Amino acid sequence: MATEKITPPVNLYVLVLFGLILLSLQLMSSAMQESSQLSAMYSWLLLFNALGSVVLLILVGANIYSLVQHTKRREAGSRLTTRMVSLFVVLALAPAVIVFYFSMQFLHQGIDSWFNVEIDRAMEDALELSQASLDQRMRWHLKQTQQLTEKLEESSENQVTLEIENLRELSGASEMTLFSRQGRIIASSSINPGDILPSLPDEHIWLQLRQNGLYVAIAPVHEEELMVRVIVTVKAQESQYLQALYPVPVRIADLADSVEFAFVRYQEMNYLRNSLKMSFSLALSLVLLMSLLAAIWVAFISVRNITAPVKALVKGTQAVASGHYDQQLPVIAQDDLGFLVESFNDMTHRIAQARDETRKAGFEVENQRAYLETILANLTAGVISFDAVYKIRTANQAAYRIFHVHVNQFIGRTLLELVESYSELAESLKSIQRLLEQADDIWQQRIAFLGPNGRQELLCRGTPLFSQEGLRVGAVVVFDDVTDLIQAQKNAAWGEVARRLAHEIKNPLTPIQLSAERLQHKLADKLESADAAILQRSTRTIVQQVEAMKEMVDDFSEYAKPSKKQTVDIDLPCLVKEVLALYALKSGVRFKADYETGLSMINGDPVSIRQVLHNLIKNALEAIGAYGLVELSVRGVRKNNTDFVEIALYDDGPGIKEEQIEKIFEPYVTTKAKGTGLGLAIVKKIIEEHGGAIWIDTNRKVGAGFIIQLPACNSEQL
Amino acid sequence: MVFIMRVSGRSKRFRSIFYNTLLMCLLPFFCYADQFAAEVTQAEIKLQGQSYVFSTNIVYNLSEKANDALQNGVPLFWNLQVKLQQQRKFIWNKTLLDAEIRYRIQYHALLNMYRVINEGNGDVYNFSTLSAALDLMSVVIDIPLMVRNELDPKKHYLCAVKVNFDRDALPLPLRPIAYIDPQWYLSSDWTLWPLKK
Repeated sequence: MATEKITPPVNLYVLVLFGLILLSLQLMSSAMQESSQLSAMYSWLLLFNALGSVVLLILVGANIYSLVQHTKRREAGSRLTTRMVSLFVVLALAPAVIVFYFSMQFLHQGIDSWFNVEIDRAMEDALELSQASLDQRMRWHLKQTQQLTEKLEESSENQVTLEIENLRELSGASEMTLFSRQGRIIASSSINPGDILPSLPDEHIWLQLRQNGLYVAIAPVHEEELMVRVIVTVKAQESQYLQALYPVPVRIADLADSVEFAFVRYQEMNYLRNSLKMSFSLALSLVLLMSLLAAIWVAFISVRNITAPVKALVKGTQAVASGHYDQQLPVIAQDDLGFLVESFNDMTHRIAQARDETRKAGFEVENQRAYLETILANLTAGVISFDAVYKIRTANQAAYRIFHVHVNQFIGRTLLELVESYSELAESLKSIQRLLEQADDIWQQRIAFLGPNGRQELLCRGTPLFSQEGLRVGAVVVFDDVTDLIQAQKNAAWGEVARRLAHEIKNPLTPIQLSAERLQHKLADKLESADAAILQRSTRTIVQQVEAMKEMVDDFSEYAKPSKKQTVDIDLPCLVKEVLALYALKSGVRFKADYETGLSMINGDPVSIRQVLHNLIKNALEAIGAYGLVELSVRGVRKNNTDFVEIALYDDGPGIKEEQIEKIFEPYVTTKAKGTGLGLAIVKKIIEEHGGAIWIDTNRKVGAGFIIQLPACNSEQL
Repeated sequence: MVFIMRVSGRSKRFRSIFYNTLLMCLLPFFCYADQFAAEVTQAEIKLQGQSYVFSTNIVYNLSEKANDALQNGVPLFWNLQVKLQQQRKFIWNKTLLDAEIRYRIQYHALLNMYRVINEGNGDVYNFSTLSAALDLMSVVIDIPLMVRNELDPKKHYLCAVKVNFDRDALPLPLRPIAYIDPQWYLSSDWTLWPLKK
């Protein structure tokens, strides 16, 4: 069993980067404390965080740009990613902005609350109080020093040197010095005996001293001590200045310093109020910006990781939809989506298996079908299958050979739709269609039609097809061209008749004839003239009838033997002209011939064709009698993609009765008193043996008309 | 090898807008960057006895904001930097001396005076006027830098002096502003001159 490992949506590097961002923000926050050691690095930390924000902004911008491009290209999963990221941003942004807004409000209000007019005034009053206190002290020390000068005015320089020590101790000054007007030290006393050189006034003090005659000021000494410097003029013969330095008591100095510190601090804070607000706002904004940008960036990464399997699934589904069933997706995580991906992989695997099996089965079916088609194509019988509504579904090559029609062109059409295009097949097609619709069992019918090679006779066998539920789902019709078979049967039958006639009838005829002639010869002289005349008539009749019977037997023999003996290419118009030339001298009969130029030759036995023409012209002449018109035309026609040479022969005789039309070409059918009735049968036999056809033109209302069509030699045959 | 980059019209227009905008943003900095900068008007390192001593005159120009901050108790710091470098032909100069005098000026509200402190030696000077306080910082006279033997007479030396306003010593809320506001650009440029031996 595979162990399931749950992987976080973001990798370790992102977490480390996120930690660094938080650390940087924390350092910046710490640096904002004045007392912090990081305070000196505040600017750098600020810059670092600002740069971090810019980097994050670029990352987020690049992700947004990439997402927009993917969405524009309608890539798989882009819209889901957009929705998820948008949702995440909105969810993260809304509370963050609200918190930021109120934090800013609290921050500004909090800073503003540090300062107010009362505190301002109190601080200023405190400072003023300190200054007033120090001023009072200065004035008191000035007055004290001025009183001391009165004592010094009465003393000489030598006495001053001694007395100044007493005066200093008396006044409490830390140092007392007497200067001449030029700044020469006359006498000096200090509380610290180590201080040899007294504190000397600077130029500014001298300037003020010369202008005002006195100087009093508090000056800081060292860091935290204050000293009151008083310089007054001593009224003596030569102007002198007494400088006394009074230390401000430590307590007062501390208090003053404390007040000043507080005042300065307050004043500084008040001055920095706006900067402070801006600084805190900047830091807060930076924190918010970095947090949000980092969150959005992590959101992009997370959503990308989450939607990666979905994207892969969409792409996989598209691939499956386009027929690539071998699609296998990598299983990134063992979560719900991972389970989905595994299921998808399982599904595609099974589909691929099913596809392979179906394909294999299809191949087998196709092979079987091809095998059957090969068999069907090589069958001599035509096979046409029909669907439930009797539209042609399939047809084999033999069907084409039989009908001389590309039946494949009519797949999906009914037989009735072909009637208009193939009028010669009209009756046959209608008959077959009727049988297809009506027959519930195997049916069989012989149909005949005039094909390009003449009359064709077909034996059709139809089988209706039923589904397992018993519904009619179509039919199959098998055609066998039995023209040759029937013709062969006929020929064989008539040949047998002729042979029998020759054998059984013709043989006795000669002895009969000879016997009759012998009777005539032997008895003619012995009988009375009347009897002799009777004998002569009888024997003559016998001889004549025997001759007639011989002719009849010869005709049968002629009919039975094959007509196509020596075939050559025949120029039919020339042949017709030659035959007509034999009848041209016949008085009272007009011949009207019409020949088309440029006709193709036909292939046949010229003797047989000549006999056909003789037979037909003889028939016409016998029909019209002494006077009449015989029209004859030779022209080329094209039927069923085959070229024919057509001979049409018309007379203006009495014509043929309708009941005789169907049987006129059968042996022993004649309308004449004389004749064997084999003439037209022989004509038809010869024409059919030449692959042609002959029929009576029933459209002709005057006289009789025969139309013969013989296949023309095509160039390939030539 | 020459690379020819074909730039589309749209890209050119975008670049033009970008650079114009950048120039407009930076123009105030270029104009005012030196307006309040300190200026070294005179500087000299000369041999006095066996020692080299340094003297300089500096003019400090306090901006309105700097003055305002000072009046409100914000201490301001300047570092007077002096460098002496040995000039070398093929590699970078060698720094022999990098001295610094750090001044701090602060206003005392209680006594209404300005205090200047030399952070190096701890000397404290009090002045009743700002100009007097700045005058103290402006003049440096004969500060010994190094003894004569430390320099090779055959080599060439370069002197440099600069007054650097320490913005990082400002109160923290002022620092970001001090980095972007030209009124806080109070440092001078480097002044360079060859050492006369």
